[in-house]
Amino acid sequence: MKPVKKMSLGELAAFVCTQLRNHGIKAVLSGGGCVAIYTDSRYQSFDLDFIENVPTERRRIKEVLLEIGFIEKDRYFKHPGTDFIIEFPAGPLAVGGEPVREIEEIVFPTGRLELLSPTDCVKDRLAAFYHWNDRQCLEQALLVAEAKKIDVKEIRRWSAAEEKSVDFEAIRGRLMKAARKRNGS
Amino acid sequence: MLEPLLGSKNRERILLYLRIRKEGYAREISRFFRTDLAPVQKQLERLENGGVLYSRSAGRTRLYGLNPRYPFLGDLRSLLDKALTFYPPEEREKLTMTRTRPRRKGKPL
Repeated sequence: MKPVKKMSLGELAAFVCTQLRNHGIKAVLSGGGCVAIYTDSRYQSFDLDFIENVPTERRRIKEVLLEIGFIEKDRYFKHPGTDFIIEFPAGPLAVGGEPVREIEEIVFPTGRLELLSPTDCVKDRLAAFYHWNDRQCLEQALLVAEAKKIDVKEIRRWSAAEEKSVDFEAIRGRLMKAARKRNGS
Repeated sequence: MLEPLLGSKNRERILLYLRIRKEGYAREISRFFRTDLAPVQKQLERLENGGVLYSRSAGRTRLYGLNPRYPFLGDLRSLLDKALTFYPPEEREKLTMTRTRPRRKGKPL
Protein backbone atom coordinates (compact mmCIF):
# COMPACT_ATOMS: atom_id res chain seq x y z
CA MET A 1 0.00 0.00 0.00
CA LYS A 2 1.20 3.47 -0.96
CA PRO A 3 2.11 5.60 2.08
CA VAL A 4 -0.37 8.37 2.93
CA LYS A 5 2.16 11.09 2.13
CA LYS A 6 2.37 9.89 -1.50
CA MET A 7 -1.39 9.58 -2.07
CA SER A 8 -3.27 11.93 -4.40
CA LEU A 9 -6.52 13.47 -3.14
CA GLY A 10 -8.58 10.75 -4.83
CA GLU A 11 -6.40 7.93 -3.53
CA LEU A 12 -6.51 9.30 -0.02
CA ALA A 13 -10.28 9.83 -0.15
CA ALA A 14 -10.74 6.22 -1.31
CA PHE A 15 -8.40 4.98 1.42
CA VAL A 16 -10.30 6.88 4.13
CA CYS A 17 -13.72 5.93 2.76
CA THR A 18 -12.73 2.24 2.70
CA GLN A 19 -11.29 2.39 6.21
CA LEU A 20 -14.54 3.91 7.46
CA ARG A 21 -16.67 1.38 5.56
CA ASN A 22 -14.63 -1.53 6.93
CA HIS A 23 -15.66 -0.32 10.38
CA GLY A 24 -19.33 0.00 9.47
CA ILE A 25 -19.30 3.77 8.90
CA LYS A 26 -20.80 4.79 5.58
CA ALA A 27 -19.58 8.19 4.47
CA VAL A 28 -19.82 9.91 1.09
CA LEU A 29 -17.38 12.46 -0.27
CA SER A 30 -18.96 15.82 -1.00
CA GLY A 31 -17.82 19.40 -1.68
CA GLY A 32 -14.66 20.60 -3.41
CA GLY A 33 -12.95 17.20 -3.16
CA CYS A 34 -15.43 15.80 -5.71
CA VAL A 35 -14.68 18.72 -8.05
CA ALA A 36 -10.94 18.00 -7.81
CA ILE A 37 -11.50 14.31 -8.60
CA TYR A 38 -13.86 14.90 -11.53
CA THR A 39 -11.65 17.57 -13.09
CA ASP A 40 -8.36 15.69 -12.63
CA SER A 41 -7.26 18.44 -10.23
CA ARG A 42 -7.93 21.36 -12.62
CA TYR A 43 -9.50 22.63 -9.43
CA GLN A 44 -7.29 21.97 -6.42
CA SER A 45 -8.72 21.20 -3.04
CA PHE A 46 -7.15 20.15 0.21
CA ASP A 47 -10.43 19.45 1.96
CA LEU A 48 -12.04 16.06 2.08
CA ASP A 49 -15.60 16.60 3.28
CA PHE A 50 -17.29 13.35 4.17
CA ILE A 51 -20.98 13.27 4.98
CA GLU A 52 -22.21 10.32 6.96
CA ASN A 53 -25.31 8.58 5.66
CA VAL A 54 -26.23 7.52 9.16
CA PRO A 55 -24.78 9.62 11.99
CA THR A 56 -22.02 7.91 13.96
CA GLU A 57 -20.60 8.90 17.32
CA ARG A 58 -17.66 11.26 16.92
CA ARG A 59 -15.63 9.10 19.28
CA ARG A 60 -16.01 6.13 16.95
CA ILE A 61 -14.84 8.11 13.88
CA LYS A 62 -11.91 9.38 15.89
CA GLU A 63 -10.83 5.81 16.78
CA VAL A 64 -11.17 4.54 13.21
CA LEU A 65 -9.19 7.44 11.69
CA LEU A 66 -6.52 7.20 14.36
CA GLU A 67 -5.78 3.66 13.12
CA ILE A 68 -4.58 5.18 9.82
CA GLY A 69 -2.73 8.05 11.48
CA PHE A 70 -5.28 10.87 11.38
CA ILE A 71 -5.52 12.95 14.53
CA GLU A 72 -8.44 15.19 15.43
CA LYS A 73 -7.59 18.87 15.75
CA ASP A 74 -10.47 21.29 16.38
CA ARG A 75 -13.15 19.91 14.08
CA TYR A 76 -10.73 18.50 11.50
CA PHE A 77 -8.61 15.40 11.13
CA LYS A 78 -4.99 15.85 10.11
CA HIS A 79 -2.17 13.48 9.23
CA PRO A 80 1.49 14.44 9.73
CA GLY A 81 2.39 13.16 6.25
CA THR A 82 -0.16 15.07 4.15
CA ASP A 83 -1.63 18.54 3.70
CA PHE A 84 -5.09 17.13 2.98
CA ILE A 85 -7.54 17.51 5.82
CA ILE A 86 -10.64 15.50 6.57
CA GLU A 87 -13.85 17.01 7.86
CA PHE A 88 -17.27 15.62 8.66
CA PRO A 89 -19.74 18.45 8.04
CA ALA A 90 -23.19 17.96 9.53
CA GLY A 91 -25.53 15.78 7.45
CA PRO A 92 -27.83 14.73 6.03
CA LEU A 93 -26.40 13.92 2.64
CA ALA A 94 -28.30 16.45 0.55
CA VAL A 95 -28.03 18.84 -2.34
CA GLY A 96 -30.02 21.89 -1.35
CA GLY A 97 -33.32 20.72 0.08
CA GLU A 98 -33.26 17.28 -1.55
CA PRO A 99 -31.65 14.04 -0.39
CA VAL A 100 -28.96 12.51 -2.59
CA ARG A 101 -30.42 9.45 -4.27
CA GLU A 102 -27.60 8.08 -6.43
CA ILE A 103 -24.09 7.69 -5.15
CA GLU A 104 -21.16 7.28 -7.52
CA GLU A 105 -18.33 4.82 -6.87
CA ILE A 106 -14.76 5.06 -8.11
CA VAL A 107 -12.17 2.39 -7.44
CA PHE A 108 -8.62 3.55 -6.76
CA PRO A 109 -5.63 1.29 -5.98
CA THR A 110 -6.08 2.41 -2.35
CA GLY A 111 -9.78 1.52 -2.03
CA ARG A 112 -13.32 2.22 -3.16
CA LEU A 113 -14.57 5.78 -2.93
CA GLU A 114 -18.23 6.74 -2.67
CA LEU A 115 -18.93 10.29 -3.78
CA LEU A 116 -21.56 12.60 -5.25
CA SER A 117 -22.34 11.95 -8.91
CA PRO A 118 -21.12 14.61 -11.38
CA THR A 119 -24.68 15.96 -11.69
CA ASP A 120 -25.09 16.21 -7.90
CA CYS A 121 -21.61 17.69 -7.61
CA VAL A 122 -22.69 20.45 -10.03
CA LYS A 123 -25.88 20.99 -7.98
CA ASP A 124 -23.83 21.16 -4.79
CA ARG A 125 -21.57 23.86 -6.27
CA LEU A 126 -24.54 25.72 -7.76
CA ALA A 127 -26.24 25.73 -4.35
CA ALA A 128 -23.29 27.74 -3.02
CA PHE A 129 -23.49 30.04 -6.02
CA TYR A 130 -27.26 30.50 -5.71
CA HIS A 131 -27.32 31.11 -1.97
CA TRP A 132 -23.97 32.81 -1.31
CA ASN A 133 -23.36 34.32 -4.72
CA ASP A 134 -20.01 32.48 -4.66
CA ARG A 135 -18.65 32.80 -8.19
CA GLN A 136 -15.76 30.41 -7.50
CA CYS A 137 -18.33 27.69 -6.96
CA LEU A 138 -20.01 28.54 -10.27
CA GLU A 139 -16.64 28.15 -12.02
CA GLN A 140 -16.15 24.80 -10.27
CA ALA A 141 -19.58 23.65 -11.49
CA LEU A 142 -18.60 24.61 -15.06
CA LEU A 143 -15.30 22.72 -14.78
CA VAL A 144 -17.19 19.57 -13.75
CA ALA A 145 -19.64 20.06 -16.63
CA GLU A 146 -16.66 20.27 -19.02
CA ALA A 147 -15.07 17.14 -17.60
CA LYS A 148 -17.99 14.78 -16.96
CA LYS A 149 -21.40 13.98 -18.39
CA ILE A 150 -24.08 15.81 -16.46
CA ASP A 151 -27.87 15.92 -16.69
CA VAL A 152 -28.70 19.56 -17.42
CA LYS A 153 -32.46 18.86 -17.46
CA GLU A 154 -32.24 17.43 -13.94
CA ILE A 155 -30.21 20.44 -12.77
CA ARG A 156 -32.88 22.71 -14.22
CA ARG A 157 -35.62 20.79 -12.34
CA TRP A 158 -33.63 20.90 -9.11
CA SER A 159 -32.95 24.63 -9.51
CA ALA A 160 -36.70 25.21 -9.85
CA ALA A 161 -37.30 23.18 -6.67
CA GLU A 162 -34.76 25.44 -4.94
CA GLU A 163 -36.74 28.44 -6.24
CA LYS A 164 -33.72 29.47 -8.30
CA SER A 165 -35.07 29.14 -11.85
CA VAL A 166 -34.14 32.73 -12.68
CA ASP A 167 -30.54 32.20 -11.52
CA PHE A 168 -30.38 28.93 -13.45
CA GLU A 169 -31.56 30.58 -16.67
CA ALA A 170 -28.85 33.20 -16.22
CA ILE A 171 -26.12 30.54 -16.24
CA ARG A 172 -27.78 27.90 -18.46
CA GLY A 173 -25.91 29.06 -21.58
CA ARG A 174 -22.54 28.69 -19.86
CA LEU A 175 -23.46 25.29 -18.46
CA MET A 176 -24.58 24.04 -21.91
CA LYS A 177 -21.42 25.44 -23.48
CA ALA A 178 -19.28 23.63 -20.91
CA ALA A 179 -21.17 20.38 -21.52
CA ARG A 180 -20.74 20.80 -25.31
CA LYS A 181 -17.02 21.38 -24.83
CA ARG A 182 -16.81 17.96 -23.22
CA ASN A 183 -18.44 16.43 -26.29
CA GLY A 184 -15.90 18.25 -28.48
CA SER A 185 -18.55 20.16 -30.44
CA MET B 1 -42.57 26.41 23.69
CA LEU B 2 -40.21 24.46 21.44
CA GLU B 3 -37.77 23.89 24.29
CA PRO B 4 -38.68 20.19 24.82
CA LEU B 5 -38.01 19.59 21.13
CA LEU B 6 -34.93 21.78 20.73
CA GLY B 7 -33.43 20.96 24.10
CA SER B 8 -32.71 24.54 25.10
CA LYS B 9 -34.62 27.75 25.70
CA ASN B 10 -31.84 29.81 24.19
CA ARG B 11 -31.86 27.72 21.06
CA GLU B 12 -35.58 28.45 20.64
CA ARG B 13 -34.98 32.15 21.22
CA ILE B 14 -32.12 32.30 18.74
CA LEU B 15 -34.04 30.52 16.00
CA LEU B 16 -37.13 32.69 16.50
CA TYR B 17 -35.04 35.83 16.52
CA LEU B 18 -33.25 34.87 13.31
CA ARG B 19 -36.48 33.78 11.65
CA ILE B 20 -37.90 37.26 12.16
CA ARG B 21 -34.82 39.48 11.97
CA LYS B 22 -32.97 37.45 9.29
CA GLU B 23 -29.56 38.12 10.89
CA GLY B 24 -28.23 38.88 14.34
CA TYR B 25 -25.17 38.68 16.55
CA ALA B 26 -24.70 37.09 19.95
CA ARG B 27 -24.71 40.23 22.09
CA GLU B 28 -27.74 41.65 20.31
CA ILE B 29 -29.71 38.43 20.81
CA SER B 30 -28.73 38.06 24.45
CA ARG B 31 -29.65 41.70 25.14
CA PHE B 32 -32.99 41.31 23.42
CA PHE B 33 -33.94 38.33 25.58
CA ARG B 34 -32.16 39.75 28.67
CA THR B 35 -30.08 36.66 29.07
CA ASP B 36 -26.39 35.89 29.52
CA LEU B 37 -24.11 36.18 26.54
CA ALA B 38 -22.08 32.97 26.96
CA PRO B 39 -24.97 30.47 26.61
CA VAL B 40 -26.23 32.32 23.53
CA GLN B 41 -22.76 32.20 21.98
CA LYS B 42 -22.54 28.50 22.77
CA GLN B 43 -25.88 27.73 21.14
CA LEU B 44 -25.05 29.84 18.08
CA GLU B 45 -21.85 27.86 17.65
CA ARG B 46 -23.65 24.55 18.03
CA LEU B 47 -26.33 25.50 15.54
CA GLU B 48 -23.69 26.61 13.07
CA ASN B 49 -21.71 23.38 13.49
CA GLY B 50 -24.93 21.47 12.85
CA GLY B 51 -25.48 23.34 9.58
CA VAL B 52 -28.66 25.05 10.80
CA LEU B 53 -27.08 28.52 10.84
CA TYR B 54 -24.47 30.26 8.77
CA SER B 55 -22.21 32.99 10.04
CA ARG B 56 -20.28 35.78 8.38
CA SER B 57 -18.11 38.52 9.75
CA ALA B 58 -19.06 42.18 9.36
CA GLY B 59 -16.21 44.27 10.71
CA ARG B 60 -15.55 42.88 14.17
CA THR B 61 -18.99 41.36 14.52
CA ARG B 62 -20.02 37.80 13.66
CA LEU B 63 -23.49 37.80 12.17
CA TYR B 64 -25.64 34.67 12.14
CA GLY B 65 -28.64 33.70 10.05
CA LEU B 66 -30.68 30.63 9.12
CA ASN B 67 -28.62 28.62 6.62
CA PRO B 68 -30.39 28.65 3.23
CA ARG B 69 -28.62 25.35 2.42
CA TYR B 70 -30.01 23.53 5.46
CA PRO B 71 -32.13 20.73 3.96
CA PHE B 72 -34.92 21.14 6.54
CA LEU B 73 -35.06 24.92 6.36
CA GLY B 74 -38.59 25.06 4.94
CA ASP B 75 -39.91 22.79 7.67
CA LEU B 76 -37.99 24.66 10.36
CA ARG B 77 -39.44 27.98 9.18
CA SER B 78 -42.96 26.53 9.28
CA LEU B 79 -42.40 25.24 12.81
CA LEU B 80 -41.03 28.58 13.99
CA ASP B 81 -43.88 30.49 12.33
CA LYS B 82 -46.39 28.24 14.06
CA ALA B 83 -44.62 28.61 17.42
CA LEU B 84 -44.66 32.37 16.99
CA THR B 85 -48.45 32.41 16.68
CA PHE B 86 -48.60 31.01 20.23
CA TYR B 87 -46.46 33.79 21.67
CA PRO B 88 -48.26 36.61 23.49
CA PRO B 89 -48.98 39.50 21.07
CA GLU B 90 -46.69 41.91 22.96
CA GLU B 91 -43.76 39.46 22.70
CA ARG B 92 -44.42 38.96 18.99
CA GLU B 93 -44.60 42.68 18.47
CA LYS B 94 -41.32 43.23 20.29
CA LEU B 95 -39.63 40.78 17.93
CA THR B 96 -41.14 42.10 14.74
CA MET B 97 -41.65 45.82 15.30
CA THR B 98 -38.14 47.14 15.50
CA ARG B 99 -36.79 49.76 13.18
CA THR B 100 -34.68 48.00 10.54
CA ARG B 101 -34.60 50.71 7.87
CA PRO B 102 -31.40 52.76 7.65
CA ARG B 103 -30.82 55.91 9.66
CA ARG B 104 -28.20 58.44 8.56
CA LYS B 105 -25.34 58.96 11.01
CA GLY B 106 -25.79 62.11 13.10
CA LYS B 107 -29.45 62.63 12.18
CA PRO B 108 -31.28 64.27 15.12
CA LEU B 109 -34.11 62.24 16.63
